[in-house]
Amino acid sequence: MNRKTAISAYVIAVAGVIAAPGMARAADYHHVHVTASSPSEAVRWYSEYLDCQPVADRRDAADCDGTELVFVVQPTMGSTQGTGVNHISFSYEDLTTKMAALEAVGVRGSGVRLQRFDDGSTLRDIPGLFKIGFIFDPWGTRIEMVEDEEYLGFHHVHLSAADPEATLAFYRDVMGGEPASLRGQIDGLLFGDVWLLASEHGEGTPATTGGRAIDHIGFVVDDLTAAATEYRNHDVVFETEPAVPEGGRTQAQRAFLRGPDNVRLAVVETGFAGVVTERAAEATGADAEPYDAPATPWGEPDLQGVWTGNSAHGIPLERPDDSAATESLTAEQAEARRERGTLGSIWGYEREWRDTTLGYVKTAPSTQVAMVVDPPSGRIPALTAEGEVMAARAAESRASYTQRPAAGPEDLTPYVRCITRGLPGLMMPSIYNNGLQITQGPGFVTIQKEMVHETRVIPTDPRERVGENVKTWLGDPQGRWEGDTLVIETTNFNGLASYRGSSSDMTLIERYTRIGPSSLQYSFTVDDPTVWTRPWTGQFNFDLDDEQYELVEYACHEGNYGMTNILSGARAQEAAEAEAPGR
Amino acid sequence: MSPMYVQRSNSITAVKGLVAAIAVGFLVLLPSATILNAQTAESDAPRAWDGHPDLNGVWQAIGTANWDLEDHPASGGHPDLGAIGAVPPGQGVVVGGAIPYQDSALEQRQQNWENRPAGDPEAKCYFPGVPRATYLPHPFQIIQGDKKIMMVYGFAETSRTIHMDKDNPERAPIDSWMGRSHGHWDGDTLVVDASGFTGEAWFDRAGNFASNNLTVVERYTPMGSHAIMYEATLEDPTVFTRPWQIRMPLYRRLEDNARVLEFKCVEFSEDLLYGHLLREPTR
Repeated sequence: MNRKTAISAYVIAVAGVIAAPGMARAADYHHVHVTASSPSEAVRWYSEYLDCQPVADRRDAADCDGTELVFVVQPTMGSTQGTGVNHISFSYEDLTTKMAALEAVGVRGSGVRLQRFDDGSTLRDIPGLFKIGFIFDPWGTRIEMVEDEEYLGFHHVHLSAADPEATLAFYRDVMGGEPASLRGQIDGLLFGDVWLLASEHGEGTPATTGGRAIDHIGFVVDDLTAAATEYRNHDVVFETEPAVPEGGRTQAQRAFLRGPDNVRLAVVETGFAGVVTERAAEATGADAEPYDAPATPWGEPDLQGVWTGNSAHGIPLERPDDSAATESLTAEQAEARRERGTLGSIWGYEREWRDTTLGYVKTAPSTQVAMVVDPPSGRIPALTAEGEVMAARAAESRASYTQRPAAGPEDLTPYVRCITRGLPGLMMPSIYNNGLQITQGPGFVTIQKEMVHETRVIPTDPRERVGENVKTWLGDPQGRWEGDTLVIETTNFNGLASYRGSSSDMTLIERYTRIGPSSLQYSFTVDDPTVWTRPWTGQFNFDLDDEQYELVEYACHEGNYGMTNILSGARAQEAAEAEAPGR
Repeated sequence: MSPMYVQRSNSITAVKGLVAAIAVGFLVLLPSATILNAQTAESDAPRAWDGHPDLNGVWQAIGTANWDLEDHPASGGHPDLGAIGAVPPGQGVVVGGAIPYQDSALEQRQQNWENRPAGDPEAKCYFPGVPRATYLPHPFQIIQGDKKIMMVYGFAETSRTIHMDKDNPERAPIDSWMGRSHGHWDGDTLVVDASGFTGEAWFDRAGNFASNNLTVVERYTPMGSHAIMYEATLEDPTVFTRPWQIRMPLYRRLEDNARVLEFKCVEFSEDLLYGHLLREPTR
């Protein structure tokens, strides 16, 4: 639904007069089930920006004026729009101030995205109603902000219905909503002091809510067994029969119904407090038991499989100043850190990018404080005198690129040019396409990183090095087995894809060790005496993800529209500056 | 842990001992019941640990298939390059002589021909697709294990994963330049089914092509130790009137220390692709 039709939802009142209440057993809103990749971060977001309250002993719920928002990790298949639940709504006494405050938050990190109207404003005054505006949470849920002083706080759930009148009749007759008219303008239903509104769905049948940003709407009844009998009398389809759910925090029952317009409904009994669904992180700390790696049929340690670096995404290379004495993060802190890293890179990532659109579930984030394990301070050692000169030169050239339009591809990084992320850069976890496929044949290991599709062929038997003049982006690797650990020593770098200032004199020593059935420890030692006063080592783990993950072809250069856009934008900027008066 | 893998070496010099241990293991394993096709192993091709032909090594096609799959005489190239840019003459690798294009597809090929070389994905350093990756004028390496067979091509950092461990071939999740490949052994022949292509790749510098409906069945059959007969059957009902086949040997690179060197060609394509957008335009 675009902006215009969103507004028209308010202008076009739902036709027809709603008949008197039927025999329904009155239900009340209980919860709205919202998909978020980080429940704790979502609780923080809704508490900070929409004045909900964290729920005691629950990491996954916020109380918004008596209605719970329950946040559950699942692969998001898209935002609320296009489904039978278009948005939820919050009401404020002074919406102008509220929207200004939200606008000041900005979209970076777990920020706030405001939807602008055609004139660029974020607020609109609807005659006879009140001021409205729209925002999105970071996980794709659309939220309407209204200024309705009669109903403050959690204000309404707005359905998108093929036949709004029939849909409202269902919620009246079956769920027991009380017909009422919002400001005499819009017919809807009241559940307690929260509205249920319905507008006509513009295009065909609404998509199912299941798996989307709002997965379902939950109602509460005193006696679900009795209510279920009534639902059956109304020919309601049950997706799940009433039962105490697995992992339920209380003995209250829950059922799932299929509402009109492919909207999933939960009905729970009084006392229901959600289910425990957290995925346990595998213990991979230093105290993990030594692990005996399996062997290939020809007798070498077997590292094969599809691994992902998703758990390590968010670990900073160096120990942050404020965590000097921290051994490891809590699960909540780790989750929030990765989430901020993800959202800080690309807004809406979880619903737009392939990892989740193909249905992958990310492994739990690592609680490791920093990658650097040597020096023990967790900080990269001091630069040599030559390293200082190189760093200053690099900073200067970076500044010149960022301060003026790029003259050509050479002004941009090898990564933007889709050449490479270099070594060890390409091994580093990132926001998406974190796949690592290791395959082996006798005497060779191939290491394929999904981003940007590079395949390294590592010989594990000694062989002659290539000549000194055959410098390459990824260098000349020589592998060996030390026990069950694959050790790779790489030299002959061309130095053009520098990692944190590394030069062509770098020797990179990588160690791959299986430390558990599904855990691969990766450590890298950067030995570059031209740049640093001593070698330094970083470390993180990859997780075996064979069951669900497959590397897809990262055709970076083939689809590098970014390069065309950057350069054509640069030329347009230069042309505009040349034409500008006074220059 | 396999019983033969008892040595834990700590230095590069100890690796030789490990290699010896593996070799002994190989001899011990050879008569075991797990060996496949041992009875049919008539050729003198080397054998892998499981009795199948051992295709490990660095291979390269020789010939002019990458210039033109069909018969072609010598012809000139870019005048600045003199004879260096000329197209060497070649006998076609298409079984039966000509590619059976539908009429409408012939027009597309003619357009491709007229747009060469700049329109050729090879000039742009794009993924070469299948089967072209096999007969580019660059070596490629086969790494043959137990679950996957990797084919790693230097050009454009291309590789293919041949899934040997999928009983039920899976549809490619999305189209890609290199497609999705499933392999199995037919006697001493590695058979690879590849599909799920974007349809943007060309087969050669002459502009031969297919659409994203292309399916390729490749057969890699060892001819002794140092050559593999490569055959590919190409089918695309939207472009060709019938399935057709190409056939050429692949040769082992026998140089000491033969390897596939990194050929990251992106930077060499940037002037062609972006020259018109530079501050000092070159195009």
